[in-house]
Amino acid sequence: MSATQLPRGFEDLEPFLPWAGETETVRNHYRIDRPQNEIETFASAIVTRLTAICEYLDAFPLNEMPDDARRLYYMMLSVAETAPSVEGYHAPSVPYGYDSRRFQAQEDFPLRPRY
Amino acid sequence: MAVVHLDRKVPAEKYAHLGTGPVPIEPYISPAYYEREKKYIFKKVWQHVGREAEIPNAGDFLSVDLPASDASIIITRTKDGTLAAMHNVCSHRMNKIVYDERGSARKLYCKFHGWSYDLEGKLVGVPAEASFYGLDRAACALTPVSVDTWGGFIFVNVDPKPKQSLAQFLGPMYASLDGYPFHKLTVGYQWKTVVKCNWKLAMDAFQETYHVAFVHGPSIAAALRRDKGGAIVPIDGLIDDFHRRLGVAGDPRSVYGNPKAITESGSPAPASAGRPIADAALKLGRGGMNASFDESDRPPGLNWTNDPDWAFDINVIFPDFYLSLRPNYMQAYNFRPLSHNETLFDARVYYPEMTTAGGRLYQEYMKTALRDVLLEDCSTLERTQIGCESGAKTHMLLQEHEVMVRHQAWVVDRMIREGEAAEA
Repeated sequence: MSATQLPRGFEDLEPFLPWAGETETVRNHYRIDRPQNEIETFASAIVTRLTAICEYLDAFPLNEMPDDARRLYYMMLSVAETAPSVEGYHAPSVPYGYDSRRFQAQEDFPLRPRY
Repeated sequence: MAVVHLDRKVPAEKYAHLGTGPVPIEPYISPAYYEREKKYIFKKVWQHVGREAEIPNAGDFLSVDLPASDASIIITRTKDGTLAAMHNVCSHRMNKIVYDERGSARKLYCKFHGWSYDLEGKLVGVPAEASFYGLDRAACALTPVSVDTWGGFIFVNVDPKPKQSLAQFLGPMYASLDGYPFHKLTVGYQWKTVVKCNWKLAMDAFQETYHVAFVHGPSIAAALRRDKGGAIVPIDGLIDDFHRRLGVAGDPRSVYGNPKAITESGSPAPASAGRPIADAALKLGRGGMNASFDESDRPPGLNWTNDPDWAFDINVIFPDFYLSLRPNYMQAYNFRPLSHNETLFDARVYYPEMTTAGGRLYQEYMKTALRDVLLEDCSTLERTQIGCESGAKTHMLLQEHEVMVRHQAWVVDRMIREGEAAEA
């Protein structure tokens, strides 16, 4: 992985680039396919950096981020995706839950934020 | 019938018409009963199909399949900015005209023989028109369908002559919500799934709070207020001849249960202690939205009991639309019947637009938490349907706080009986 994938100051998060999925569907499927310890490792690596991440990203309008900032942004959204696993279920998927692959996010819904 | 309060302080005689006995499950498993629901309900009543904001510009359209009404409907934004709705059936040889769920066009073309219609459904083009026999274009418009809006939600009614206007249908129960800031909730997320269960059974899983402590134990159960006995019970309920409402109280120390969590400054809620992601989302989200909400956004019908711990209202707009209103966001679910034991669950949540990265983090946190809560809610549906169809039992038992389940069964049955009596 090239060292220019994430903005300067966040290079140490590059091992977590697979978490920078561009859509809810990709981020959710990535989460539920990981073992719980990987989810927790990712979440704890990012959660203490969220203030710095937001400060950095707020220099750009949400729709005009350069690619490296955009990856960091998606990685930040993935932390929200992991929150139920880490802070609620202590498991990758909802225990005894309905299959989230059947509960399909409509990524083309016109009112969905583009970013 | 006037709106009836189901407050625990109100004597049960007020809703004596609903009864207290076991409720038969035949209506949840019977293809014949479903056929009667189609005839006397889904071909007669107003049905929610989407938001006006989905089709903002002239030429934008939605097409919605309503199998329980034996219909597919096109809704267009016309050149003068109004909405038009018509059957998605070509006047020539009945082919479906619009195949896509949404789009934008100047004209609607039938893909079979190329007949074209304007945005109001008027026939404007017929290939090889001279080969027809005295074709009267004016008589060949698409068949119109009644359409109207409430709070920015689009409703259609496939009855050629609806018995009530949409305002008459909704007014007795929901006029007190006029003034709710629907227009500030401009962003939305949608999920869809086809669940192998009856539509009423799906709705039932959402219209009582008895299940919350169990189905939602690891997620939101702790965010709702409990009574002295530890039960999660609604603040109050309202019913009329069609619709029903429940007010639900939260634990104001939690993020989910405190409707002011994101709009008021202050330290993170103590109930989120040990939840660093929740804390961070709440802290970084503050100030990140493009709308503000105050008392003027709270019409008298919202939190109608003025409970200080109020978290949200559940509104079930008959037959299949569930709308949960909070001060600054809303959940809008459709449980659209596809057959007697298949339901399209079209789940949406609408928020204000977020303008900062922290705002988006907060919204993503809330949305993800909600989605996983819905996966909990859906977890029982197919299992319950299988149980109903097993023949092991013939009736279900309902307690006083499951009264909305009872009310739904009563309304559906009453409408069928009234429809059949009118024909006799």
